[in-house]
Amino acid sequence: MKEAIDIARHVVGKVAEIPAGTRRMVVVEGRPIGVFNVNGTYYALKNSCPHQGAPLCLGTVTGMTLPSAPGEYNYGREGEIVRCPWHGWEFDIATGKSIFDPHKCLVKTYDVTVEAGEVPEVETYPVFVESGSVVVHV
Amino acid sequence: MEQQQEATIEPKKARTGIIDCDVHPYPRNTEEIRSYMKQPWRERYNGGGRGFYGNPVHGDRLDARPPQGGPSGSEPELLRRQLVDEYGYAHAILMPRAFCNLHPDPDFGNAIAAAYNDWLADTWLSKYNADGVFKGSITVNTQDPQAAAREIERWAGHPHFVQVMTDSGARAPFGQRQFYPIYEACEKFGLPFAIHPGTDGMGINVQPSPGFPTHYIEWHTCLSLGFQAHLVSFLTEGVFERFPRFKIVLVEGGVSWLAPLMWRLDAEYKALRYEVPWLKRKPSEYLRDHVRITSQPLERPDNDAYLLQMFEMMDAEHVLMFSSDYPHWDFDSPTRAFPKLPEALHRRIFSENAIEFYNL
Ligand code: FES
Repeated sequence: MKEAIDIARHVVGKVAEIPAGTRRMVVVEGRPIGVFNVNGTYYALKNSCPHQGAPLCLGTVTGMTLPSAPGEYNYGREGEIVRCPWHGWEFDIATGKSIFDPHKCLVKTYDVTVEAGEVPEVETYPVFVESGSVVVHV
Repeated sequence: MEQQQEATIEPKKARTGIIDCDVHPYPRNTEEIRSYMKQPWRERYNGGGRGFYGNPVHGDRLDARPPQGGPSGSEPELLRRQLVDEYGYAHAILMPRAFCNLHPDPDFGNAIAAAYNDWLADTWLSKYNADGVFKGSITVNTQDPQAAAREIERWAGHPHFVQVMTDSGARAPFGQRQFYPIYEACEKFGLPFAIHPGTDGMGINVQPSPGFPTHYIEWHTCLSLGFQAHLVSFLTEGVFERFPRFKIVLVEGGVSWLAPLMWRLDAEYKALRYEVPWLKRKPSEYLRDHVRITSQPLERPDNDAYLLQMFEMMDAEHVLMFSSDYPHWDFDSPTRAFPKLPEALHRRIFSENAIEFYNL
């Protein structure tokens, strides 16, 4: 095992530029990545579907039908699912795991943090978030 | 507003020589088709596709929608970029979706078929086809076989139409005699007859499963049933004895059912040959001379070795041709849809079989 794996920080934008419910496509160290803001929390997924390699992160951000008894439809998790633009497979944005087989079919995820801006405006949380940067760790 | 900064992916410019046997070009709008129609059809035609059993998620690759608007598959430049250039195609065989044979009025169906052919000839086979990459299909309306034969005759001399096509949805299995004028014309002009899913159980056509299924997933999975029924009909009715140079291609009807179906049919033949005395060979023996099958949607068992065995059992080396079904939602990528194939088999499936079949 390698002792220290190089994890590099990459600022991909200002918090205000990726508001809740939106995403931003970036290329970091040659890797296409989609950064999603789901209800104020940021996630990053590799922009390549494990199925046939479609640009997964360009897919529809949506909800899903939850497991149910036959004949019942319960819809939920609105905004937490990305659906592949080719064959429509559903992935959990937070974990990168597919809905139909979370253990075998998953897309690579990256850590995302929000870091304070150059000029710390501090004091209150909302101000901090406004001026922060979204950082992907690859 | 969503912020998206397109990740740029370098196109692979190298020519791989792939031939894709199922690519769907769309008119930019209904008017494009209507402009090729005479009255009263021009007034009456309002486009429209299958009508129901729509995909509940999305029917087309989302990234195939032209940014300037219009349906997927309607912008030649985008199609070329995402498909022809991306994978280095030698040819794309175009299959427009006219849905002409679901109408109770055969004259209306004929008018739609003719307008689609005029449109395809003017646009995708001419204006957008300086390099000859695109090859087309003559759409025919199977509910009026005489008119279909005349439509074939009208286009047979065209350098870029390489086959005749229709939907697998039909009023009867295709081996039956009412369709023979179509096959006679195909044989006369050396054009294969392609069947593509589309109007099964719609309009005037029968549904190949028992009754009408509830969900798209059922309907879509069972599309292969119609193909099996048509193929058995072609073989047992003696169509290939009657028209010895006639060839068919089963497009988008599934792949791996072929071998077990032929085993079954050959086994039946041993006792029931009595009923079909015109067959000079076991039914399966007509396949290599007369039948081709396209790959998409390719079944993918969890174990790749099973699929390779299937390929061997069905003689994929001679009967299987690659297709992607671009821009539809179940698009098969030429680089990702198949397990690793021996190189010679790869060449047969991705180009040589189609070169021979279509004389490309
Ligand atoms: S490539 Fe994503 S579902 Fe097929």
